[in-house]
Amino acid sequence: MLENYLPILVFILFAVGFSIVFLAAGFVLGPQRPNPEKLTPYESGFNAFEDARMKFDVRYYLVAILFIIFDLEVAFLFPWAVVLDEIGGFGIAAMAVFIGILLIGFLYEWKKGALEWE
Amino acid sequence: MEYVQEVLWILAKIVALILPLFGVVAYLTYAERKVLGWMHHRKGPNRIGFGGLLQPLADAGKMLMKEVMIPAQADKALFVLAPIMAFAPALAAWAVIPFGDGLVVADINVGLLYLLAMTSLGVYGFILAGWSANSKYSMLGAMRTGAQVVSYEIAMGFALVGVLMASGTMNLSDIVRAQEGPFWHWYWLPLFPIFLVYWIAAVAETNRAPFDVAEGESEIVAGYQVEYSGISFGIFFLAEYANMILIGALASVMFFGGWYSPFHGIPVIGPIFDLIPGPIWFIAKIAFFLFLYIWIRATFPRYRYDQIMRLGWKVLIPVTVVWLVVESIFVLTGFGPWF
Amino acid sequence: MQLIIFYVFAAVLLFAGAMVVSSRNPVHAAMFLVLAFFNGAALWLLAEAEFLGVALVLVYVGAVMVLFLFVVMMLDINVSSMRQGFARYLPIGIAVAAVMVLEMILVLGSDQINVVAATAGGETAVGSNIRAIGSVLYTVYLYPFELAAMILLLAIIAAILLTHRRRGGTKHQDPTAQAKVRAEDRVRLVQMQAVQRRQPSNNEAGAKE
Repeated sequence: MLENYLPILVFILFAVGFSIVFLAAGFVLGPQRPNPEKLTPYESGFNAFEDARMKFDVRYYLVAILFIIFDLEVAFLFPWAVVLDEIGGFGIAAMAVFIGILLIGFLYEWKKGALEWE
Repeated sequence: MEYVQEVLWILAKIVALILPLFGVVAYLTYAERKVLGWMHHRKGPNRIGFGGLLQPLADAGKMLMKEVMIPAQADKALFVLAPIMAFAPALAAWAVIPFGDGLVVADINVGLLYLLAMTSLGVYGFILAGWSANSKYSMLGAMRTGAQVVSYEIAMGFALVGVLMASGTMNLSDIVRAQEGPFWHWYWLPLFPIFLVYWIAAVAETNRAPFDVAEGESEIVAGYQVEYSGISFGIFFLAEYANMILIGALASVMFFGGWYSPFHGIPVIGPIFDLIPGPIWFIAKIAFFLFLYIWIRATFPRYRYDQIMRLGWKVLIPVTVVWLVVESIFVLTGFGPWF
Repeated sequence: MQLIIFYVFAAVLLFAGAMVVSSRNPVHAAMFLVLAFFNGAALWLLAEAEFLGVALVLVYVGAVMVLFLFVVMMLDINVSSMRQGFARYLPIGIAVAAVMVLEMILVLGSDQINVVAATAGGETAVGSNIRAIGSVLYTVYLYPFELAAMILLLAIIAAILLTHRRRGGTKHQDPTAQAKVRAEDRVRLVQMQAVQRRQPSNNEAGAKE
């Protein structure tokens, strides 16, 4: 099994190395003439008046949490879909209960308006 | 010694895959501008080379020669890391794509899961780029993209589960083999709603029009990329196009029978069409999906952000869940040639 | 060869773990945690647990760390104020760490967990252990599996209760209300004589009518 993963490892290292080489080429070939005005953050011509790393709406955080939960659900579905022919009706019933429980949560967030972006 | 030989052989395969991929990326940008031009009744790039054919090379050269700026207030390490985080997964995901029977760099059992993992890494590029630049537009773009990509990834994951249920394997070559036959044996037909959901989610995942609020040039100028210049911007650009081609390849593998010709297995015309080698069919299918990308971009206006989130959560996810239920009934009853 | 690869990954994992704790910038720490997860996944792959390895990347790197980054980025990071209470919290921190170490020794040292049996799982099914996991997870371990669904449900409800509140004063559009609007609601047609003296202003014209 492991010999199948050697290409993956080589490929990932190659991809990272390639990106670095590419980026370095830009630094080498391009001019480097920094000046303070050029290096200020772009703000439509005005001077930036405060730090950009400000507090954000908590809704983005909520979306991220819901994403984790549903991503886990998908991770549970993957092996299930693969062995579906083996476990048959019983497996489908087991997954139906699983999805059913999570569907309650989904309906709850829908009704609570957690999916609204006004 | 034999390890060195093996690694060199793998590297040769990777280079044989990456170099043509770069050519395709370069000429995809050209094709996009030409096709958009035709759809707008204008010419598109036509100055450099015959009919503008050298335009992508000129663009690449220009980007390499421009200054790479790092804003003074930026987090320098992450600012440089972000394009790499966007680009490397987009390349590494190609390891498991089968171009023909046995023509694959890494034939692993969990290929589909690996692909999903790699595409989910792309979001780091956006978030890190937006945060590290310390510019308000970047930050807004990063937050928008982050939440959007993450939302559509769920719909995409569910869609992939639909394909898995039909094929019973995560090995991409085996998924293609499970669809062996003429075009009505391919999964787009029994899984049509899932195919649509997959395609919409894929367009949103790659931040292409009409879901390109991350860039939103009319509102937040270029979103997370606003502080990037020269090749560091170019790498984001390359990553976006490499991802588009990847998504096209994945769609061909999962729903359009990979390397099989559309008439494979039909008595008289089947063998004639089989004369054209599989990889060419595969590339033709990818080209079709890429054209679809450009066509969609020329046709639809940009969605509003709340509409995007509503579509992702309230339409696509319920549709996939319903179709997964329908599909389990198919599987139980052994419906058609597919299950 | 395999041993060399293992030690390389293990070394990078330890280094990344140390950097998570020691780096001053929380976003940097989160990125080192991503690196640590990657190496952890590689170690699992070396133990032939391919599904778990790739799922680790998918769930932890692809989802959990995205949430971490969101949270870290949304907080106003003020490093100096975070370092203030270091001495004050040190005893509590050490106590928690000691309890954790004790628990881990208890778990790992017990006879319940047989490390040899766990690593041999890779070869049971033909070519892959996804089928091995799948064939028991939804049948033999059905109860824990459904329990996981309940925990996830709890997480959904808790997250919504903690973070979601309706806020007034947003300038959002209501497309249904926009579509339902009728001419009478917005426009008042005013009957006027065709030939008239010049009116001083529109307001008066309306009032006259």
